[in-house]
Formats: sequence, structure tokens, C-alpha cells
Amino acid sequence: MIKLIHTLVLVTVASVVLHANAAQDKPFAEQKVVLQISDADPTKQTLVLNVASNLIKAYGPDKVDVEIVAFGPGLRLMFDDNHNKGRISGLTDSGVRFAACGNTRKKMTKALGKEPTLNGNATVVPAGVVRIVDLVNEGYILVKP
Amino acid sequence: MIPTRRKIYSLMAVIAGCLITQSAYSANWLMLQGTEAHKQGQAPRAHVWGFIQAQYQYDNSDPNPAGGYIPPKLIGPNLDDQSQFNINRARIGVRGTGFPLDSKVNYFILAELGNNGITYGDDGKHLTDASITFNHIPGARVRVGQFKYPGAEEGLQAIHVFDYINFTSVTNQLLLERFPNPDGSDSNQGPTPTPNADMNQYSQSVGAFRDVGVQVFDMFKGGSWEHTYAVMVGNGNGINRGDNDGNKDWYLYWSSELVFGGKGGRREGWKTFAWYQDGKRTNAYDRTQEQDRTRYGAGTKYLKKPFRVTAEVMAGEGMIFQGQHRPQHIFNNGEASGGYIEGGWYIGSTNLEIDLRYDTYTRDENHPTSASGHESTADTVTLGAQYHFNKKTRLNVEYASRDYKSDTPAVNTQQKDVDGRFAIQVTHIF
Repeated sequence: MIKLIHTLVLVTVASVVLHANAAQDKPFAEQKVVLQISDADPTKQTLVLNVASNLIKAYGPDKVDVEIVAFGPGLRLMFDDNHNKGRISGLTDSGVRFAACGNTRKKMTKALGKEPTLNGNATVVPAGVVRIVDLVNEGYILVKP
Repeated sequence: MIPTRRKIYSLMAVIAGCLITQSAYSANWLMLQGTEAHKQGQAPRAHVWGFIQAQYQYDNSDPNPAGGYIPPKLIGPNLDDQSQFNINRARIGVRGTGFPLDSKVNYFILAELGNNGITYGDDGKHLTDASITFNHIPGARVRVGQFKYPGAEEGLQAIHVFDYINFTSVTNQLLLERFPNPDGSDSNQGPTPTPNADMNQYSQSVGAFRDVGVQVFDMFKGGSWEHTYAVMVGNGNGINRGDNDGNKDWYLYWSSELVFGGKGGRREGWKTFAWYQDGKRTNAYDRTQEQDRTRYGAGTKYLKKPFRVTAEVMAGEGMIFQGQHRPQHIFNNGEASGGYIEGGWYIGSTNLEIDLRYDTYTRDENHPTSASGHESTADTVTLGAQYHFNKKTRLNVEYASRDYKSDTPAVNTQQKDVDGRFAIQVTHIF
């Protein structure tokens, strides 16, 4: 029970932090984009990072607010041992946020027999799809490369 | 006395020169073929891939005075005639991580359906690779199954990015192992007129630079350098499966590479490597006899476009190949050595590449009682060109000028008329 409460508190805090980041990190953002990665196709991992990078290049780091939300097979992008770790770190420095689906992590923990270690730059949200709906309601444009 | 040792020393000097001047095209084949490390967390469950090579070859050699031909004057693997169209390689395979959430385990499986030494006499199909790699122990990845053993660059490299059509004589004869049928049914054949010379008397697959066994290996990075080691133990029976003699082969390998950039099989860098193999073979015609088989070598490879330079030296003792028509003479304690130096020039902003290679090989050295006589030498200069239609499709054209001779008059009569060979080949990777 205590574990469950801790988890709920952590998830709530994470959501609040993400929401706060969304609002505070990019006060001058004129464009707001949420990128979805939920595909098993490995080339999609590269593609979604390329899109984020291109958005930053086109509008400038301060003028565009980008969040990448991973769920389902797409969560592999945010595994700590992912080949793209360096790129994720670079994009984080440019202000891109990474949200990892808590539901998917739970499922993968069951399949793996242990909890997968996620990239330190990723923030766990309760459900990836809910996070996307929330962001769209806040005015973000949803792009699924 | 044919001065092969002097040529080898010259090649070694060239390698040493490359080391000093830091002049390389090189890829880390052990990591590329054995792991999905370059796609960590990205490797698919099953990536289907393969390639097709279609070719035509024409040999310009004259027969012996009686009108007979020996294998170097005919087109393999059939060795029937002096010209042939062929689908020499048609391979299809699957690789990846069967359970993508666990990137610590990956697999590699590949089958050959083309017409070559692997499939000749084997119904036209053969499984060349089937391996599983465990990446759990830092610094000691473990690969089990059937796969390319660590060794010389020309054998270890992915054949679909090989810059020439035919192997050098030293690789073809010293390293590409032939296995006579263990029941002793493979017999010798003398020079035969064409067509339908049918000089390939081996009924089992060539070794294809592969073995079935266990390999421990890994790569370590230090700045721009990559250092790779491998230790392997295998059956020593090529891709013919099973251990036919109860003896195991041991393989050792080390490479250090200064990586310039790029990725995959055409990564730019400068690599230097050394390798050693040791095992025993049983005489197919008298199973009470065993023979040591040792091979060793070193080399260097440099690629930084527009230039590529490669040089290798190799030597071996025991089981010295005497030709596709003489399977009963492969069991021997002869010595052999050779090497090659080659270079490539990528022409400006075109898709064209010019290649030039010199290779030398001497067999039956220091062995006056060899069944086949004394030293025989093969020197070849190959001039080639490649046109890259795109990253996956290319055309190779090459002409090999060959000079074969032997200290033994009877052998020399057969070899002295070995002449030029023209080859053209299209490769498409999918």
C-alpha cells in the first residue's frame, strides 16, 4: 500500500514537473508540438529525433516547445542503453522534453522480469496516450512521424 | 629458388610503413557480424537481408601440349570450361534481437543459394551462418554456433563489400580450406580437355572461413581508437558440421583501429591486425594419420576517401592445398606463405572507383619430399574498376594478369601457360 502511495506521489510530482516545464521552460514559444513514438520500427526512433531536431533548427530553441512521448514498443527509444542516448542528451539541452509511458514500463517489467532502466532525461508519466491528449488540449500540435 | 620470402618481407615493410605513417578502409567485422551493438536498443526483432551476385568470367590460358587443362585455367566452381555465366552468390538471411526488449541477446542466420564452393556438390544450398550472441559480460561477449572465425581480413570481411571479384591466390589456396570426403571417395584427376572437364573433385563444401564453435570477443574504445580481441574454439571442419576427428581448432585475433568516421562495412579508419589458428586434421584416406594445420598472419587496412590501401601477409604449415583436382594430396606437412597489397582510388565526385592489387603465393616450401614436388609460385596483378549505381548496387570489372611457375618441371608444364582472366560482376544488396 505504501509502495502504491509512493508511486502515485512520484507520478503526480512528475506530471506537475512536466506541466510546469511545459509552461515555464519555453515562455516565448510560438509553436507547441508533441511528437508520438509508439512504433516498433527502429527507423522511427531516428526519425522522431530528426523531426525534433529539425523543429528546433527551423524555429529556434526558444520559439518552439517540443515534447516526445513514448509508449508501447516505442518506449525502447528511452531505454538507458539505447544507441540514441547521445542525441537525446543533446536535444534535452535544446529544451526538448521526453515523456515515458508508465503503463508500458509496467508491462515491459513483467515481460523482462525486471524493470527496464530508462534514460535519465526521460520523465515517467502515468500513461503516454493520456499525456498526448492533455498536451493537445493545451494547444500542442500532435505529429506522429 | 623462388624468392617469395623476399616478397613477403617487402610486404611486411609496406605494412610497417603504413603503421609509421598512419596512412585505412576498415570495419570492425567481429562487432558488425556478431552483435547488434551498433543498433543498441534499436535492433529489430527480425531484419531480413541478403545479396545477389551475378557474374561472367573468361580465362585466356592455353592448355598443356596434350590439350589438358588444370583448375587455374578453368572457371569455378564447376571447372568445366574457360568461360561461364554464373550466379555465384545468392544469400538471404535474418538478424536481430528475437526479443527486442532484451538487447543483450542477438542472432544471425544466413543461407547460400548461389553456385560456388560452398554449395557445389551440396544440392545448391547451404546454411552458412547460424549464431547467437550473448552480450551480458562486459568485455567478454560470447557467440555460439556457426559463423566466420576471426582471421585474415580478406576472409573475415563481408563478401558483399569485397572490392574484387576473385580472391587472391594466397587466400584462395592457403586459407579457404577444402575438405575431402571423409569416406575417402574423392579421387584425383589429371589435366582434362574442355568442355566438361569437371576438374572439381571435392564433394564437400569449402570452409568458407567459418567454423562451428564458441567465440569470446569484445571491442574496447579509447578516444578515436577501437581495440578488438577474439578467442575461439571450433570443430575445425568448416561448415560441414560435426567434428569429424575429435580435434578442436583454436583461433586468436587482435585488431587496433583508428576510426576516422562513418559506419558499417565501409567505415573509414586505419586498422592493424594479427591472427593465429591451430588445429589438426585426419587423413581422409588413412584415418590412423593426423596432421597439424597452422595458419597465421598480420595486416593493415586504411581507408580515407578518396584512397584505400590494404596489405596482408600470411603463412601456414600442414594441409597445403594442391588444387581442386587433387583432393588426395591435401594431407601433407608442407609449408606455404604469401601476401598481397592493394589500393583503391575513388574518382572525385563520380561513382567510379579504380582498384589495383598485387598478390603472391608460394606453396610446398622447404619440403622436397612433398607429394606434389617442390615450390610453386603464383603471382597476380589485378586491375579492377567499380561503378556504384547506388549504395546497394555496384558493377565490378577486373582483369587479372597471372604468372604461375614451379621448380618441378612436370608441374611447371601445367602451370606456365596460366594466363589472364577477365571477370565482370553485378552485386545487389537488399
